[in-house]
Amino acid sequence: MSVSEVSSLLNRDNTFSATLDHDGKVPVEHLDYGYIEKCKDVKHLEKILRVLRSGEEGVYPHLNQFCEDRVKSLDPTSRALRKEQPVATAASLPTEEWSQIREDLQRWQEESKDLEASMLQPSIFHGIGNENVPPVRGTNISVPLGQNPASKAKNKPPKRALPLDYKDWDKYDVDKECEMIDGSESKKDPAAVINSGHVKIRTRVDVTTLTEKEKLLMASREKDKGNEAFRAKGYEEAVAYYTRSLSIVPTVAVFNNRAQAEIKLQRWHRALQDCQRVLELEPLNLKALLRRATVFQHQGSLPLAAEDLRAVLRVEPHNTAAAKHLTEVDKKIREGQPELPIKGRKILIQDIEEDEEEAEEHARPVDPRQPVGGVDSVVSPVERGDMGNAQKKPYGGGRGDGASPHSDASNGSHGHHRRGRGGSWDKHKAAAHESPGPGKAANGTGKRGSTASEPGAAKGGRPAGVDLDAPCGALPPPLARLKNEGNLLFKNGQFSDALGKYSQAIAGFTESGIDSPEDLCILYSNRAACYLKDGNSQECIQDCSKALELQPFSLKPLLRRATAYDSMERYRQAYADYKTVLQVDNSVQAAHSSVNRITRLLIEQDGPEWREKLPDIPLVPMAAQQHRREETPTPEVLQARAEKAAQDTARRSELRFTALKQEGNEFVKKGQFQDALGKYTECLKLKPEECTVYTNRALCYLKVEKFAEAKQDCDAALGLEPTNKKAFYRRALANKGLKDYLASSSDLQEVLQQDPGVQEAEKELEEVTALLRQSLASGASPRKKVPITEVDGDQDRSVADSAPRPQEGGAINKQPADAYEFGQSLNAARSRGDAAACADLLSSVDPERLPRLLSNQLDGHVMGFVLEALDEHLLARDPGRVYRLLQSLHTAERFTVVLMLLETAERRRVTQLFEHLSSVQSDDFTKDDVQNMANIYIL
Amino acid sequence: MSTPFEKPQIISHIQKSLNYTIFDCKWIPCSAKLVCLGNLARGTGVLQIYEVQGGELKLNREIEKAKPFKCGTFGATSLQQRHLATGDFDGNLHIWDLEAATEPLYSVKAHKEIVNSLDGVGGLGVGDGAPEIVTGSRDGTVKVWDPRQKDTPVANMEPGAGEAKRDCWTVAFGHAFNQQDRCVCAGYDNGDIKLFDLRNMAVRWETNIKNGVCCVEFDRKDIDMNKLVATSLEGTFHVFDMRTQHPTKGFASVSEKGHKSTIWQVRHLPQNRDVFMTAGGAGNLHLWKYDYPAERSGEDSEGGAVGVAGTVNLLQNVTLSTQPIASLDWSPDKQGLCVCSAFDQTVRVLIVTKLNRV
Repeated sequence: MSVSEVSSLLNRDNTFSATLDHDGKVPVEHLDYGYIEKCKDVKHLEKILRVLRSGEEGVYPHLNQFCEDRVKSLDPTSRALRKEQPVATAASLPTEEWSQIREDLQRWQEESKDLEASMLQPSIFHGIGNENVPPVRGTNISVPLGQNPASKAKNKPPKRALPLDYKDWDKYDVDKECEMIDGSESKKDPAAVINSGHVKIRTRVDVTTLTEKEKLLMASREKDKGNEAFRAKGYEEAVAYYTRSLSIVPTVAVFNNRAQAEIKLQRWHRALQDCQRVLELEPLNLKALLRRATVFQHQGSLPLAAEDLRAVLRVEPHNTAAAKHLTEVDKKIREGQPELPIKGRKILIQDIEEDEEEAEEHARPVDPRQPVGGVDSVVSPVERGDMGNAQKKPYGGGRGDGASPHSDASNGSHGHHRRGRGGSWDKHKAAAHESPGPGKAANGTGKRGSTASEPGAAKGGRPAGVDLDAPCGALPPPLARLKNEGNLLFKNGQFSDALGKYSQAIAGFTESGIDSPEDLCILYSNRAACYLKDGNSQECIQDCSKALELQPFSLKPLLRRATAYDSMERYRQAYADYKTVLQVDNSVQAAHSSVNRITRLLIEQDGPEWREKLPDIPLVPMAAQQHRREETPTPEVLQARAEKAAQDTARRSELRFTALKQEGNEFVKKGQFQDALGKYTECLKLKPEECTVYTNRALCYLKVEKFAEAKQDCDAALGLEPTNKKAFYRRALANKGLKDYLASSSDLQEVLQQDPGVQEAEKELEEVTALLRQSLASGASPRKKVPITEVDGDQDRSVADSAPRPQEGGAINKQPADAYEFGQSLNAARSRGDAAACADLLSSVDPERLPRLLSNQLDGHVMGFVLEALDEHLLARDPGRVYRLLQSLHTAERFTVVLMLLETAERRRVTQLFEHLSSVQSDDFTKDDVQNMANIYIL
Repeated sequence: MSTPFEKPQIISHIQKSLNYTIFDCKWIPCSAKLVCLGNLARGTGVLQIYEVQGGELKLNREIEKAKPFKCGTFGATSLQQRHLATGDFDGNLHIWDLEAATEPLYSVKAHKEIVNSLDGVGGLGVGDGAPEIVTGSRDGTVKVWDPRQKDTPVANMEPGAGEAKRDCWTVAFGHAFNQQDRCVCAGYDNGDIKLFDLRNMAVRWETNIKNGVCCVEFDRKDIDMNKLVATSLEGTFHVFDMRTQHPTKGFASVSEKGHKSTIWQVRHLPQNRDVFMTAGGAGNLHLWKYDYPAERSGEDSEGGAVGVAGTVNLLQNVTLSTQPIASLDWSPDKQGLCVCSAFDQTVRVLIVTKLNRV
């Protein structure tokens, strides 16, 4: 046994063992150039390296190096490659680099000396600026360490002792409580906590007390934070920090960085604003120009993008990123403006048909922006490509039937080979095969068979181009010929020639002074189709608008304009037009899919409030809708259609309602209660009978402390749903806010009656009771002390409503001084079922005061109980008083409502009471009086 | 090195031998000065202020106090005042005006035993909220102090009666991104790491990394907590992604065995939270960079959010000394400048180059 073997046996765990370990043994043969070169197992190579380094098998510096290189080529981050290195010194750096570092350091030393000197002069605000510092946290609050889970569970929730301070109720989260009332028991496991506190980051920093130097330091620190967040892809967070930095000291760099973050978030508008700010401050800031170009490109303003990029290149002719970007943009512009330049071309629009380019964008390498400091990365190609696709893919269908001109409809099977682009060719084929529109139109019976005056439909399946002189509506023969020629050319794909023919026809039309708006409309519409095909969206929109002026709500111009807007990425207008199209004819599939797509885009772009930014969508009159239909629809069809339209509107309003409600809920979640209020109010305009909206709005009112309004809403909700717990609960809170503790407590009792398990209500009730006591103690009669027994009784009642009552302690106060005491006594009596006590109570009060004593406490149970007491006990003793009590009772608050909600047993009780009453002879009242009153009570 | 000019280089700029054991060194904010805290041979504490001047450290001032200093921080003071808070071997927390340091501005017997570590927040324009100092001690408690309140801590994290007292080795503030939220992280000799939520006054999260926790630090104190690095006695360190807390799994983490000996310190670069340096027991420094994963949170089997840890890459490593490097501090003002002290009674000013290109 060799020495090495012995030593390796002694050091099994060490690197030595690698050579002899039975499993992971490194045979000597492996310590060979050939083997190492071929070996791909990094682990094994690392072992070999360890053996080589250990010198176990001899020292082979070159082989060692070779092995290291091999490992490095396979796994550059391998730990085996880490070597202890001595610290570098000045000598280990090239001279000029070191001298640069030294100079830099020297400069910093001097600067910091100045800075320190200036810091030492205390700011004039110093010492007075502490008011915005939060107060001392508290004293010696002990936090248990909770070392094991058991003790943690025991110790962790720092339960506060009851009763709670009133201030704690300010922090009371109504939302959460309501969620709990809703019984969302399913959420037993706490969800993962995601720290995305950027919503809580204050975007403004109070710097009034700081010196300029400090401000600069803070601003740059906030910027650093923003940059870090940006690098970690926390763009929202980055924007928050940049905003903070800007609120301290606005700087060009931070505006620039924020623009980049906004670009990442695809909030083009804000990004554009930031770029503009930079360019106002520094007109030739290259980064801002580059970024603005990106924004313009995404907004579809290619020429502006190109202009910006040229500006960059003027300053920095060798900026490769800008050059590359520019060629791209130029290419797009050229494709948007194909072969034949159109006169007066000013604004070039990004063409729709750029499938090829989309693919290119996918394959394009990362935009190599020059690192100019700060945040330098740009939108990665993948993201861009994806976004582009999202916007563009659905065009195929959308254009297929939407954009083909009228005559195309009659003979759609010709592909437009002339254009020769795969993408467009496919699309047109698709249009011919799939789109239901043209096919049906050709049969002349299709649903969207357009107007009979349209030549495409009129011509039916006639071979195209055979009869160029076919009459066209009211057009004189020469114009009709021009138009037909245009149609033919269009069909053959010679769009610009067709365009010329249509233009001639339009010119001739206006000269001839014929009054036929329909025909002119069609001409404009057809010319618009040509423009659209040529990618000249601007002109297309103009023509469509003219056509629509002549014939409002014509389907095709609308569709074409929508498509044109769409291609210009003016999605809001496109959305409005598509929507109008759908109103005119709900069966246009292309419009449906486009609306869906644009909705998504707009939501991405504008967030949840995107609807607010939409232009007005005109309401299409029924006449226009019918105008689009077949000429002679049967009455049944008409009826069905009307129903469908009604359903549609209902569905639309339903959708809008849910959307609004959703938005409102979102706002509530975000804590923007004012905004939520607006949404809910709109909701209620749409559907005034929706109970949940009332309760939700009540919650918002509560949050903004408009208690009276909250109460109103709760009342409305209860009117719709008399047993709505939430409404009761919120009304209780509203009443509490209005300091009407009595009403509050009665509402809470109602909640508890419905569901005794609602702990919040219980707590709230205790709270309210305490408040009530307080307000009574402080406000009213000092001579009358509230007997504790009553309060006990009340609490007992509220705590365990369903549980059988234990023995009742204490007597009932039969001489109530005010509504509260009366309520207490009444409740106490009722909870014991002690009608006699109630009768005593009633006999002791002045009948005139009864409504006031009852306050708004009257409910079905109280009423039933009172009537029982009157009937069984008091009637025998004092019928006159009974009569007077009944007389004043019906003036009590909530009387009519309660009466309506009485249960049958209680109704029977009422009838019984009046029967008894009428059978009693008394000086206080006559039979007629009783009869009159019975009419009030017995409906 | 095949590409020496691409990687950051750690250059030893100034070395200064001292005649005492140095435990902590800190840059004075907005200056080219630093303080060194330590223990003189005669058992007293010493505080020295040095100024970097043309490749040398020039002693500005030396203050001797009765008890040896263990640690110090400027974290809870304003940029104008720059008062130093120190913890000493006797368990005292003092706040000193370095211009007039005969008497402390604030003094409290914070702990029964040595204050191992302290950290400050709310000052220097770092984070919103009240200035607070947290101290961790051998007596097992972690206490939070407000310099405006004498004698008593504002929060006290201590083991309950009957629970074993663990030596708290390190404390750090974090999550102080608004006026209310704030967290303290503490590491103990048994490997426990506890995260205290000062807003709710409760333990928010705890874990055990099996070996004594020598140092913990958040990548930034004044943001929504993002990352936490914890170093351990046997040479590994753990980086926790603090953004997503799973109810049972806690925070996702990645661990890396960087050193062959104890990692005494970890400090994040103030100008870039994803770069940090670890200081080891064998006198070496490792410079790391954390790379985020493509998605920072994923879904667990039940569809809940669970964090995804990234990776750490070694940027550079050097050996400075044969003795442990006990403290390390980046200059808050000059990117790449840092100071470290080792138990060979030497303080070193280092320059790390090319940090803006990592």
